[in-house]
Amino acid sequence: MREGELRISHLIVGFSAGAIVSYILLSSPHTSSSLSPPMLILFNFLFVALTFPLNGKLTRKLCILLIGNVIGLVWNYLFSLFAAAGANFFGNFFDALYIILNPFLNLIWIVSFWSMGLTALSDTKNRKGMG
Amino acid sequence: MITYLVRHYIFTLTVLKDAQKHKKTATGGNATYQPTVSILIPARNEEKVIGRLLQRMTELTYPKDKLQIIVVDDASTDNTGIIAEQYSNTQNYIKIIQRSRKEGGRGKGSALNAGFKQATGEIILCFDADYYPQRDIVEKLSKEFVDPRVGVVQGRITVLNESQNTVTRLVTLERIGGYRVDQQARDSLGLITQFGGTVGGIRRSLLERLGGWDESILAEDTDLTFRAYLAGYKVCYVKEAECYEEAVESWQDYWKQRYRWAKGHMQCAFKHSKRVLKSNSLGFREKLDGLLLLNVYFMPVLVLCSWIIGALLLFLKSPQWLSMVWTIMPIFLYSFVGNFAPFFEVGIGAYLDGRTRAQWLLPLLIFTFLYNIPICTKALLDLAISKIFGRNCNHWTKTPHSGNGNTYINS
Repeated sequence: MREGELRISHLIVGFSAGAIVSYILLSSPHTSSSLSPPMLILFNFLFVALTFPLNGKLTRKLCILLIGNVIGLVWNYLFSLFAAAGANFFGNFFDALYIILNPFLNLIWIVSFWSMGLTALSDTKNRKGMG
Repeated sequence: MITYLVRHYIFTLTVLKDAQKHKKTATGGNATYQPTVSILIPARNEEKVIGRLLQRMTELTYPKDKLQIIVVDDASTDNTGIIAEQYSNTQNYIKIIQRSRKEGGRGKGSALNAGFKQATGEIILCFDADYYPQRDIVEKLSKEFVDPRVGVVQGRITVLNESQNTVTRLVTLERIGGYRVDQQARDSLGLITQFGGTVGGIRRSLLERLGGWDESILAEDTDLTFRAYLAGYKVCYVKEAECYEEAVESWQDYWKQRYRWAKGHMQCAFKHSKRVLKSNSLGFREKLDGLLLLNVYFMPVLVLCSWIIGALLLFLKSPQWLSMVWTIMPIFLYSFVGNFAPFFEVGIGAYLDGRTRAQWLLPLLIFTFLYNIPICTKALLDLAISKIFGRNCNHWTKTPHSGNGNTYINS
């Protein structure tokens, strides 16, 4: 692979990996009924589309994608426990509130993780600080 | 809304492709082409920053016999005029126009028109008083005018006082997204490159044909962009021509500045949308991009409406599909809205600039995005009210500059 090209082959492999993860998420009885599959599918789509065309090793990108899915699952599992406890105390209103706020909560880790993934892929020679 | 998402993804990929191929986005121009240039500097109560810019103007490498600098002191009540006069007394190519209280304070467009009347150059460049350009910026900008189709040029704006506080850091990120990705991609793809009203210029003959700046529009730069395109010219983005600006330092100033931009942009949307659609000088892609650009400040208002409706429907126990749509909506909305720096554009811009640590602030951009919702909603409501009741809605609120950027230059 030449240095001066967008990594189209990485993109294809990335989308394939994302599709497999999405299939597992949707077919698994542990996750299919929760709110996590749509957010994780979205994460996979965004992460592959925005990171895989960049320079960097394919294995590193796949590892970061895998870590992102694990973090997403844990994040959503913890928040679903929190939501269940809240719904038990406060009733259905809390449940609806959770559904409304859930995308924002997911947004926090998706954007953060993506920006960190970008940092991991940045060319260390060209790195600059804040100031 | 999906169009905005697709558009920004295309922009991002285009810039990545350009960067990886080390392709230059500028048309190239001709470095030997050195037309006469007039630089207009509108200034109203800018005593803390005007000296810095004028000092820099004396350091420009462009031949001084081809250069004219006009400072328009727009009825300042501070020492702006005195400082400018000190420079005009020692440098014969620097001229100062003093506007009385009666003439001044009508906005940037009015001040620029006053300066334009005195300008003699073939090319008219504009710089805001808080800017700090590269020494060879005039060469970089003016060489693009060798192409007769180029009517307007725009340089890149970067933030001078980035590390001052969170607001300046977030504005920096917005600027990275806007200039490193948006403007460059538009230029590469031959779409509607936007003139930002500063760090850029216009061909004198075109400006005369257009009748100068429209003083009734708050976003006189966007207005000029579309008038140039409708007249058959194009705007060229020169990313190598960099200039530092002093970014707003507080959320209040951010509100004032963005409110003015939003209102001005909406005025342009009402003025130009129909003309863009009917234009014979624009192709389909330019028309589409032009409409998306013109209407971008309406998007936060639509986002607000959709969230309210979506939340109400969810509370009313709506069908399952709606909760799925609701779940994925915010992140898509976060990505749709053009000038509000979709996170991936900013991220890729920072990546290309090698700004590793700046990327870590990306999640915080949600605050500027959310902040833009009330700003744009208020701008739209005020514009509607002023239209209905026939009030003047063009009150110009100047962005204050503290001069804190001087520290970064001197250090």
